[in-house]
Amino acid sequence: MLFIDAWQFIVAHPGRFAGALTTHVALSAAALGLAIAMAVPVGVLLADSRRGTQLAITAANFGRTLPSLAVLALVMPLLGTGFVPALFALTLLALPPILINTCAALQQVDADLVDAARGMGMTYAQVMNQVELPVAMPVIFAGIRTASVQVVSGAVLASYIGGGGLGDFITAGIAMMALPQLLVGAIPATMLALGADWLFGLLQRTLTPVGMRAT
Amino acid sequence: MFPQRIFRNLFVGAVVLLLAGVPASAQVRVGSKNFTEQFIVAEIYAQALEAAGIKVERKLNLGGTLIAQKALEEKQIDLYPEYTGTMLLVILKAPSMTDPKAVYDKVKAEYATKGLVVLSQAPMNNTYNMVVRPETAAQYKLETVSDLARVAKELKLGAGPEFRDRADGLPGLKSVYGIEFKEDLQMAIGLRYQALAGKQIDVVNGYATDGMISALKLKRLKDDRNLWPPYYLVPVVRREALDANPQIADALNRVDALLDEPTMAAMNYQVDGEKEEPKDVARAFLKAKGIVH
Amino acid sequence: MKWLGNNWDQVLVALGEHIVISFTALAIAFFLSLVIGILAARSERVFRWAIAFTGFLYTIPTLAFLALLIPVVGLGRANAIICMVAFSLMIMIRNVAIGIREVPADVVDAARGMGMRGIDILAMIELPLALPVIVAGLRIATVTVISVAVVAAYINAGGLGTLIFSGISNDFAPKIWVGGLTSCALAVAADLSLARIERWLRHRAD
Repeated sequence: MLFIDAWQFIVAHPGRFAGALTTHVALSAAALGLAIAMAVPVGVLLADSRRGTQLAITAANFGRTLPSLAVLALVMPLLGTGFVPALFALTLLALPPILINTCAALQQVDADLVDAARGMGMTYAQVMNQVELPVAMPVIFAGIRTASVQVVSGAVLASYIGGGGLGDFITAGIAMMALPQLLVGAIPATMLALGADWLFGLLQRTLTPVGMRAT
Repeated sequence: MFPQRIFRNLFVGAVVLLLAGVPASAQVRVGSKNFTEQFIVAEIYAQALEAAGIKVERKLNLGGTLIAQKALEEKQIDLYPEYTGTMLLVILKAPSMTDPKAVYDKVKAEYATKGLVVLSQAPMNNTYNMVVRPETAAQYKLETVSDLARVAKELKLGAGPEFRDRADGLPGLKSVYGIEFKEDLQMAIGLRYQALAGKQIDVVNGYATDGMISALKLKRLKDDRNLWPPYYLVPVVRREALDANPQIADALNRVDALLDEPTMAAMNYQVDGEKEEPKDVARAFLKAKGIVH
Repeated sequence: MKWLGNNWDQVLVALGEHIVISFTALAIAFFLSLVIGILAARSERVFRWAIAFTGFLYTIPTLAFLALLIPVVGLGRANAIICMVAFSLMIMIRNVAIGIREVPADVVDAARGMGMRGIDILAMIELPLALPVIVAGLRIATVTVISVAVVAAYINAGGLGTLIFSGISNDFAPKIWVGGLTSCALAVAADLSLARIERWLRHRAD
């Protein structure tokens, strides 16, 4: 049975599997982390400017339509092969959903809420940190969730430009028509993507202030 | 009934497009594996067949050795260029041999049982050459693959998707030379030399006829323990396709006889180094030999 | 772009292949999602199950999905189209169902009061009114499908991805640029056109 053969492949090549899995998780986590670190502050900074937010959303929407493989491939002539170029490309892929959601979420915060807080004497920074961001958190996390799946998915393609990861098993499996090896790449990659989706979904729900939860 | 009409038209349109997408059947479908030499040779074969009056469809850049073989066996292509050593070790999974004629005879006989015809072999042996940058060779005093085995633990290898699993790849290097690299990276075959030049990797499993080896003045390490069998280039054709178009044999044998290592390496360099299109390089070659006008 | 000048025919062929498989996949997805979406609009259970299952499909990484289909359908276009349809279903089913549900209840009641049959209400009232939302889903599905088609070149489905993979195989940047930028342009153009249609439909519905 194919699944058993796939399992036996992992057992026979533990180092190789562990290495690919580690690289895949490292690439995904790092890209996601970098994207969050860049997109959320930018979204916050632009929250006050209508035009700025519009521009950011338009640019990010443009970025959202770019095929993942195209971005990975286009980075290659510029940065060469390996982990770092793949990381660069994956970070670029993760930025749009997070940026769009951060901007949209902050814009949608109830103006009355903000006025009330200001009226109570809070500074801009206090309003942002204690009122706007918490309220915006669920939507921001929805964006992070989308980005995380995109990144895990994109990391599969990184194999082609020498970035390593679970994609290596898929391309090797295709080259050698070794179906068990294909599964060794495809199934863990799918599980990682589902896991990321589940994890950030959980975080999204946990971080939603109790008063705002739908259930 | 505005919406209904639109939906029905869309449906009909989709069916038509789906059927239209099915290509008209060409007489012969030429395939290739996924690296430069394969693109060039497949184009040479294709254009030679066209010159002989056969209609050709190209299905190049198939993902690897076994997927090309599968495409052949499942009648998705009619022929593609392969190497006798690869056929022996990777496809037939038979033990290695050193005599070119013995290898040729064996693969020819075994393939015949699968309904595949192996035509004449070209005078070029595209074997593996482990290559390193000249500085690396100087630093570690590397002349042979055995020398490489001494220092492999400090070096990074870069290779295509098949090398880790082929009997003549990493497993072979390990069992015959005891080689274990510090790290081995997998990448698209065409990116190896860029990664080597950029020092992202230190060793590459070069192909003997790779144009970039001399262009980058890389050091070829001698296979002193004879890990690798001969890898002579041959066209592999489906018997039925050959029976339907007997001219294939003459056309391909004729061009194969003209492909020796210096010629192939020069053509490879034109694509990899000078960035010409494989089909143009193939055309120029066939023109020079008077097969195409 | 000297390469482009000499090889624009290659690019056009790739673009044509890309559009054909994308369109075919979208058409199939559209019909499937109409059927399932209409059922999901009527039943909360169907909705939840459909979204859960298609959501799972959507999360599978593209190359992994294509690879998993190889033992079943082999390589080539069929494989690619199945993958593209699978990825489009979630958003389209969701939008068909939500679009239909958002049609004001009193409009449907009025139609029923006039003696219209269920199927006529669906065809002449609910679906047309749901169209803007449906097209919004189609828009996202289109971008998704174009993106998948780029990767599908790896399993011999043709399309703009062949230029990208070929460029990587030969370490030839212009091919990568042309393949990459053309696929981006195609996705953006499709997105903008459908956005326009969506806006026009919403405007018309008011």
